[in-house]
Amino acid sequence: MTEKYIGTSTRSKEGPRHATGRGHFTDDIVLPGMLQAMILRSPHAHARIAGADASAALELPGVAAALIPSDVVAYSRPFKPGRYAAGLRKPIPEYATAVDKVRYMGEPVAAVAARDRGTAEDALDLISIDYDALPAVVETADAMKPGSALLYEELESNIAWKGSLTYGDIDGAFKAADKIVKENLKIHRYSSTPLEPFAIIASYDAASRKLTVWVNAQVPEVIYDALREALELEDIRVIIPDIGGGFGQKIHLIRKYVVIVSLLAIRSGRPVKWIEDRSEHMMAAGHSCAQEFDVEAAVKTDGTVLGLRFKEIDDVGGSTSTLTIHFTNKLNNLANTYKVQNIALEGWSVLTNKCPVIPNRGIGKPGMCYIWERIMDRIAEELRLSPIDVRKINLIRPEQMPYTTPSGNVYDSGDYPSLLATAVEKIGYDKLIEEQKRARERGRLLGFSVVIGVEPGGRNAARDMAIFPEMKESPGSGGVNGATIKLERNGTIALYLGSPNCGQSHETTTSQVAADVLDIPPDKISISTPFDSDLAPWGVSAANSGNNFHLYDIGAVHGAATKLREKIFTVAAHVLGADAAQLKIEGGAVHAPGSPVKKLTLADLGKIVYGNQAMLPKGVEAGLQATYYYTFPHAEPNMVPGADRKVRAQFTFSAAAHAAVVEVDRETGKVRVLRYLIVGDNGTVIHPNVVNGQIYGSAAHGISVALGEGFVYNSEGQLLTLTLTDYGKSSTEETPKVEIIHRPSPSPFTTLGQKAAGEGAAIPSPAAIASAVENALKPLGVKIRDLPLSPERVWNLIREARR
Amino acid sequence: MIPAGFEYFTPTSLPEALELLSNYKDDVKILAGGQSLVPLMKLRLAKPRYVIDLSGVGDLNYIREAGGAIYIGTLATHSDIEHSELILRHCPLLAQTAATIADVQVRNRGTLGGSLAHADPAGDMPAAILALDAEMKASGPSGERWIKAEDFFVGFLTSALEPDEILTEIKVPQLRGGKSVYLKAAQRASGFAVVGVAVRLRLAGNGNCDDIAIGLTGVTDKAYRAKTAEDELKGKRLDDEAIERAAQRVMDRIDPLEDINGSKEYRAHLAQVYTARALRAALAQK
Amino acid sequence: MFTNVKRTITVTINGRRYEEDVEPRQLLPHFLREQIGLTGTHVGCVIGECGACTILLDGKLVKSCLLFAVQANGKEIVTIEGLAKNGALHPVQEAFVEKYGFQCGYCTPGMVMAAHALLQQNADPSEEDIRRALAGNLCMCTGYAQIIESVKEAAKKLHAQPHD
Repeated sequence: MTEKYIGTSTRSKEGPRHATGRGHFTDDIVLPGMLQAMILRSPHAHARIAGADASAALELPGVAAALIPSDVVAYSRPFKPGRYAAGLRKPIPEYATAVDKVRYMGEPVAAVAARDRGTAEDALDLISIDYDALPAVVETADAMKPGSALLYEELESNIAWKGSLTYGDIDGAFKAADKIVKENLKIHRYSSTPLEPFAIIASYDAASRKLTVWVNAQVPEVIYDALREALELEDIRVIIPDIGGGFGQKIHLIRKYVVIVSLLAIRSGRPVKWIEDRSEHMMAAGHSCAQEFDVEAAVKTDGTVLGLRFKEIDDVGGSTSTLTIHFTNKLNNLANTYKVQNIALEGWSVLTNKCPVIPNRGIGKPGMCYIWERIMDRIAEELRLSPIDVRKINLIRPEQMPYTTPSGNVYDSGDYPSLLATAVEKIGYDKLIEEQKRARERGRLLGFSVVIGVEPGGRNAARDMAIFPEMKESPGSGGVNGATIKLERNGTIALYLGSPNCGQSHETTTSQVAADVLDIPPDKISISTPFDSDLAPWGVSAANSGNNFHLYDIGAVHGAATKLREKIFTVAAHVLGADAAQLKIEGGAVHAPGSPVKKLTLADLGKIVYGNQAMLPKGVEAGLQATYYYTFPHAEPNMVPGADRKVRAQFTFSAAAHAAVVEVDRETGKVRVLRYLIVGDNGTVIHPNVVNGQIYGSAAHGISVALGEGFVYNSEGQLLTLTLTDYGKSSTEETPKVEIIHRPSPSPFTTLGQKAAGEGAAIPSPAAIASAVENALKPLGVKIRDLPLSPERVWNLIREARR
Repeated sequence: MIPAGFEYFTPTSLPEALELLSNYKDDVKILAGGQSLVPLMKLRLAKPRYVIDLSGVGDLNYIREAGGAIYIGTLATHSDIEHSELILRHCPLLAQTAATIADVQVRNRGTLGGSLAHADPAGDMPAAILALDAEMKASGPSGERWIKAEDFFVGFLTSALEPDEILTEIKVPQLRGGKSVYLKAAQRASGFAVVGVAVRLRLAGNGNCDDIAIGLTGVTDKAYRAKTAEDELKGKRLDDEAIERAAQRVMDRIDPLEDINGSKEYRAHLAQVYTARALRAALAQK
Repeated sequence: MFTNVKRTITVTINGRRYEEDVEPRQLLPHFLREQIGLTGTHVGCVIGECGACTILLDGKLVKSCLLFAVQANGKEIVTIEGLAKNGALHPVQEAFVEKYGFQCGYCTPGMVMAAHALLQQNADPSEEDIRRALAGNLCMCTGYAQIIESVKEAAKKLHAQPHD
């Protein structure tokens, strides 16, 4: 394989259609006779449903079907508690809509389908639901109190799960410590608010019992399983057009709506489209989990961390279906970049009357990085050491790679000290110390920080067995995804990917890989879209989640292209009477060495393999198509946890040091980011512009989260942030410029040395901002524990410090 | 997000518009640029049965100079105002304020008349209009009347317009030799004023304050003039001490709003901070 | 309901004249997408915060979701589909492709329209000008960095080869 295209920013495959408005999103699709659906949602945070009546809505001209809770119970089955509900101590049936109680504002209760959106929305006003309001349980501290109103009476407590896990000798570490450094930290609820809300079309062919859905879901498996479980259908086709942003937001709760829309299609006998509106998305499409951490570090006086112990309280909202995801994900970056050997973690999942939590850009990983990087700063402060030195002394060294962490993760490669040192140098750390002195003399609050974190990639569901050893069935292990590649009869190459694309340039990146394997320019490769479960070679990793693409899709495309190349050479060698091992592809033709005439164009080859049996070598399959399903070949050891509970939570480990310079407006509390620099190791960079885009985007999100975007509920459980404005999404004017420096350490375990780049910069950036703001406020003695650092919160911290 | 159904009128004259308004005044909305009304209708927070679109009424979009004042037609957009030579020359505060509103798309559609009549407590324009001593012309079935800026903003989303009146023109006196500035603590996403302060002042030959007007928005349920703060400054030298003293007075008898963008305490604090900043910024002007 | 009685409007879209019947409450982006079939104008919010639906109305940049279709009567509209000529990308579109000023593509049409409107008025914008001009268009994927680079690149392209 030549590396002509890998590593260069080739022309985008997706760009032209998006820049001209020819992207193909779900809402762009129109089917004959299609109805429009609208969903009625609970205005209450907590209430019992005493009755429901849609008869008036059904009488409105143009309304074709309606669903109330009793219909949902009659015509569908509850979802099975899945992997995300691991730890649930009693099975709790969850239907697509609320059936007996509503447990969060915005929970779907009923739905209608009508000839147009306006009529459907008019019809919602005609559905009556009788609610008996119940006390709303909003804060975890209240939810845990005995006597508090219960979300699920059958669990007898709002503490839906408790568990713990220890690696190493944690007690020994704390006994041996010179000092115990403690801190209490909080991360708030936020989301990635993809610009395209949920969008679904369902079409049911009753005669053949086949259901087809078009949906902007990130994980086809979730939709596939949900429809099978809820509707007991076998013949299901999931088509995933262009997705207008995912970030985890479109993995889980979207299944409810796929079932609701499918039920409307089945009941009305017509295709039904539903497009979520922004406020619905904000209240009910899922939030990241508010997490509270009690952290203790056992340290030596030189800053060496002997052990880390933390208790986490997760505010999981009003559903048990994603009970433990923010806790289980802590195993993914549990040791961060540090060589600590002893770690103990304890998790509590607490139900509240708020939107259920969902996977969102790193899930629990930003929280884990926040724990480490905040406690590192605290250790430095208490030991009067430089925060850089404290990190440095604890970093895993490059010569230790591949490195097995105490929980069993195997870090593939990386030079963390160099990432940190480069960030320190490039941000001008020493100069900043001087500049800060001068700024402080003038009363200005200038602050800076350097933090570090890993970005894991790949998938291993068996991870959960480390936390839930009582699990009877394995939730699966490792990952699988496929790709199919085909030489068309005109000599072009068609590629069928095993997963949908929500903005990571799947088409561009995979065409580079196939181009290099086949020695064909990427513009001769056409990628088939949309994702279609009937056609795509998809496995469990067919998902825009867990940074799967770089590992499984790239591996599968590489494998399929390699297989195809071998087949091309086998057939061409026979036709040309040449040695297959000597053949080369060049300029759209297969060439034999040394002979200018011994060549066969790919178009001629196409004609032979699809139409000229006599020219095919004996015993060789006709056609030129190859499918390859990739599994990570280095998934052992620790793919499935043993008695020691060591497990590979993910398989590749990118890393980055983030440096931030901020200034705090003393009077208003407003934080301005003056510089933001990332020194990253994403392994072999296949497409620099694509990888940079992922880093810029995830950094901007993490910074925005740290500085104010987020959800706010009042004490009645009413969500107050129903628009992007109230939620505080950053525009071009609030988003700082980010500088990126690449310091790649190719992974020894992956096809091209590639590692993940997706969630990446959203993981350390909240910690980087918190650290820089604390540094700025040091003269006032302010400690940063909770996010977000909205102007008012910072102003309050300054005021409290002055008192 | 589809509004409830309504009947839509496009009158071609002011009398026709006023007649429609009189007929339907209990359940009608006037549509100017629509940048505030359309969102409310999409959320079905407003469900008017009748909508009167003023765009067909001739001569409501102009910026003219006459007799020592600038006259602005109610349908002049924020963009028109932002870029108007006349306004930049004679009342730059209005242009500067217009330029801070939302984003270019909203400024291209949103109108001065619409934003004033909407009387949003966080609107930017009311602060400037107050500081400029502007007057609003209300046209009704029985003729026209002029309403002073100070009397125009009555309460939350409520102006002094009667249900059968339309705001048709805004008159801004030309004030020479003045300095002015609009500053706001902008909401992080949309840039609207959590607190906005418009200051206009003129110095006498001896450097003391000869004339001062301070308009605030975002602070309470309506935009207002900070009269007691102005009194602190009139005739005085505008040194740091005077500025701080004035800033302390902007919350006199004001009950601040409280929402996710700021508690009462924080808003009151911002009002004081931004008043001082606006005063200093105005003084620093050449 | 009488309030939903349709009205006939005449509107020029991307140079072509249309006469269409619309309900007064029909929003302009839904009219463009569903009635005219121009699906490049996207809808991402309710109250006009996201800018994905940005178009030119009588030459001015507006958020179509804050207009009813009836308000477009007698007006001229340019949508994202109106920029490329015979499959040749407009220089602004080409710059977005080259500089990766997009990821998922949902905000892209609105961003391109906003960039186009800026460059019509200001051929040589500073980074600050660009940030201000795009402040009404949200992107959740890119952190705006490559979008801003795309606009800078588009300005260069337009200098080299002015486009109508």
